[in-house]
Amino acid sequence: MLKRSLKCLVLVIVFFFVGAHLSLAAPAPKGAPIIIGVPSSFKSIEAAEGLKAITLATEQINAMGGVKVGGEMRPFKVESIETRDMEPGVQIAEALLAIEKLILEKKPNVIIQGPTRSEVLLAAMDIFAQYKIPSINNAVASKFVEVYKSNPEKYRHCFRMFDGKYVVQYMGKTMNKIGSNKKAYIVVQDAIWAVGIANGMNAWFKNNGWEVTGFDKYPTGASDFSSTLIKAKQSGAQVIFAIFDMPQSGVLVQQWKDMKVPAVFAGFISPLMGEKAWTTFGPKIEGVLNIAFDGGNLPLHKYQPAKTFYDAYIKRWKEMQCGHKPAVDYDAVYAMKMAIEKAGSLDPDKIAKELENLSMVGCTGRIHFADHQYVFGVDPNVDAISAVYQWKKGKRVPVFPDSIAEGIIEKPESMK
Amino acid sequence: MLVYGFINSVILALIALGFSITFGISRVANFSHGGFYILGGVLTWCFLMKLGLPYFLAAGLAILIVGLIGLLMYKVLLVRLRGLELSEVITTFSVGIVILELLRSLGIMGFEYRTPVFIDESVEIFGVGLGIQRIIIVGAGAVLLVALHIFVHHTRIGLAFRGVAQEEHTSLSVGINPDRISMLSLALGSMICALAAVLILPLGVISVDEGYDILIKALAVCIIGGLESTLGVLVASFIIGYIEAFTSMYISSSLISVVPLASMLAILLIRPSGLFGKSKEIEERV
Repeated sequence: MLKRSLKCLVLVIVFFFVGAHLSLAAPAPKGAPIIIGVPSSFKSIEAAEGLKAITLATEQINAMGGVKVGGEMRPFKVESIETRDMEPGVQIAEALLAIEKLILEKKPNVIIQGPTRSEVLLAAMDIFAQYKIPSINNAVASKFVEVYKSNPEKYRHCFRMFDGKYVVQYMGKTMNKIGSNKKAYIVVQDAIWAVGIANGMNAWFKNNGWEVTGFDKYPTGASDFSSTLIKAKQSGAQVIFAIFDMPQSGVLVQQWKDMKVPAVFAGFISPLMGEKAWTTFGPKIEGVLNIAFDGGNLPLHKYQPAKTFYDAYIKRWKEMQCGHKPAVDYDAVYAMKMAIEKAGSLDPDKIAKELENLSMVGCTGRIHFADHQYVFGVDPNVDAISAVYQWKKGKRVPVFPDSIAEGIIEKPESMK
Repeated sequence: MLVYGFINSVILALIALGFSITFGISRVANFSHGGFYILGGVLTWCFLMKLGLPYFLAAGLAILIVGLIGLLMYKVLLVRLRGLELSEVITTFSVGIVILELLRSLGIMGFEYRTPVFIDESVEIFGVGLGIQRIIIVGAGAVLLVALHIFVHHTRIGLAFRGVAQEEHTSLSVGINPDRISMLSLALGSMICALAAVLILPLGVISVDEGYDILIKALAVCIIGGLESTLGVLVASFIIGYIEAFTSMYISSSLISVVPLASMLAILLIRPSGLFGKSKEIEERV
């Protein structure tokens, strides 16, 4: 009898415990899912990691109850499609077909990340306009703002996160902190986005009293950069400015070290971006200055939202290799959530209007748009930020902007 | 520039040697060369980083496996197509694409796929700083050439290789099985290709796309030197290596990928058989 009573008591306690727990938990989103379309070239590591960040954001939002649309909680659902636009030989039309397929078959309410190649994004803007889909895109060097401004009414649903011009602004300010002889050598991957940034930097150097002693472009796949390094050394350049995202560009840094070129190595070198680069390349990358386009891709101790995102990403996906896309893609999901909730509907015009007026704290900084483009500045409490860091003894130490800097720029051994 | 030109020439020779040897003996143009190269690198990386095997065991295993795949490719696919040159090219090219795209879909992308250099030091030669790995590549290239020379001149199987290379039908009359020798030549060429990957890839990162570049480089070197000529491969490697170095230094580094192809076209116009090739000349005489 006592045993039976005890059993009943335990059952009642368990029942109440579970019931109370369920009632306290966030309500599960019940409405039809809001579809986030992600058409991109996922064989590029940036796009693949960006998709992971989008997935992480949607998981977090859904776990918190979803998105409130006119009094109803609805979950986000991610639908991606491989556009292959970063693969060699793939035509723009082929990538556009994939985007249209996604739109027609999955009927996304919004688009995030978008195609990776700049010229594909420019062409895709017409498709987004035709189907009236709010989109926050992420191709770096395209003339997005120019195209948007050419017909703001038509392209009112298109937004973009990062612009290559910010790299020039950031690296320009960083150059002034190096304390060199104001002679720089530019070496760049022969790709539109990279050459665009390098041209901007070339102009910056010339407008700011620097001498550019050389400007070399290398085709994708090149694996010997000795001639550039010899010329840089002979010309007395104390800064080598490099823009590369091809895997072989790690060789450039190794040769820089092997050839003991007395110059600071700075720029955007994709293979050296992630935490694991030190394991991959070893101490030869000591002293390299690299820029993470989106500051949130670094665990910035002076800006907690960035650190929180980075830690959550690492917990979910184990590692982050790139310095562009994950943080801004993650922010874009939250930006869409906020815009939809404020609009109170999935009406594309209303969402676009809310995005135009958006101001929110993201892991990349304060997210707001000007000419449908994220505004980047030097204080994450005011604008979105990039982050320049230097490899020091296996750690990525942020050195610019000052608002998030945790150290100062140190010259490499070969310059001392 | 002279130093780096020399090293780059040796790298080109290593890349092309496997292709040339296979073609020289079996007359099979192995267009899966780039796929085998990257596969060699990926296998070494897996054995080294995932299984924790010692470097030389990992590299040795990778080379053996790639050799075995080359052997099987002949045994299973090419033996049925002997003499149908276009079909052989299409088949081997397809195998290469399958390998590369399979590796891509298995997630071989990103920057972590890098095999470490054998010795992480640098020295100065003629006032030029140089990573030890590049010196090892030159040394290994020289050792490989000597070993190949001894193999084909002083071993039974090497002599059989030469016999088939010189006259396949006559070699039958002295008891050499040309199919078996061709199969072994595919294995040998594939192993040399994987060895090149083991030596060269530590300089950079393993990238699937590089497989396509490697095939083009190997083809350019072999066509300039003469498809079946080892001496031709060496000479062509040095021609391309130094033209690349001069172009990069004095004209424009953006043209270096054009150099091998432009040289190849020029040679095809002047000497269709390549600098040391004989096949076209013989054909014309007949």
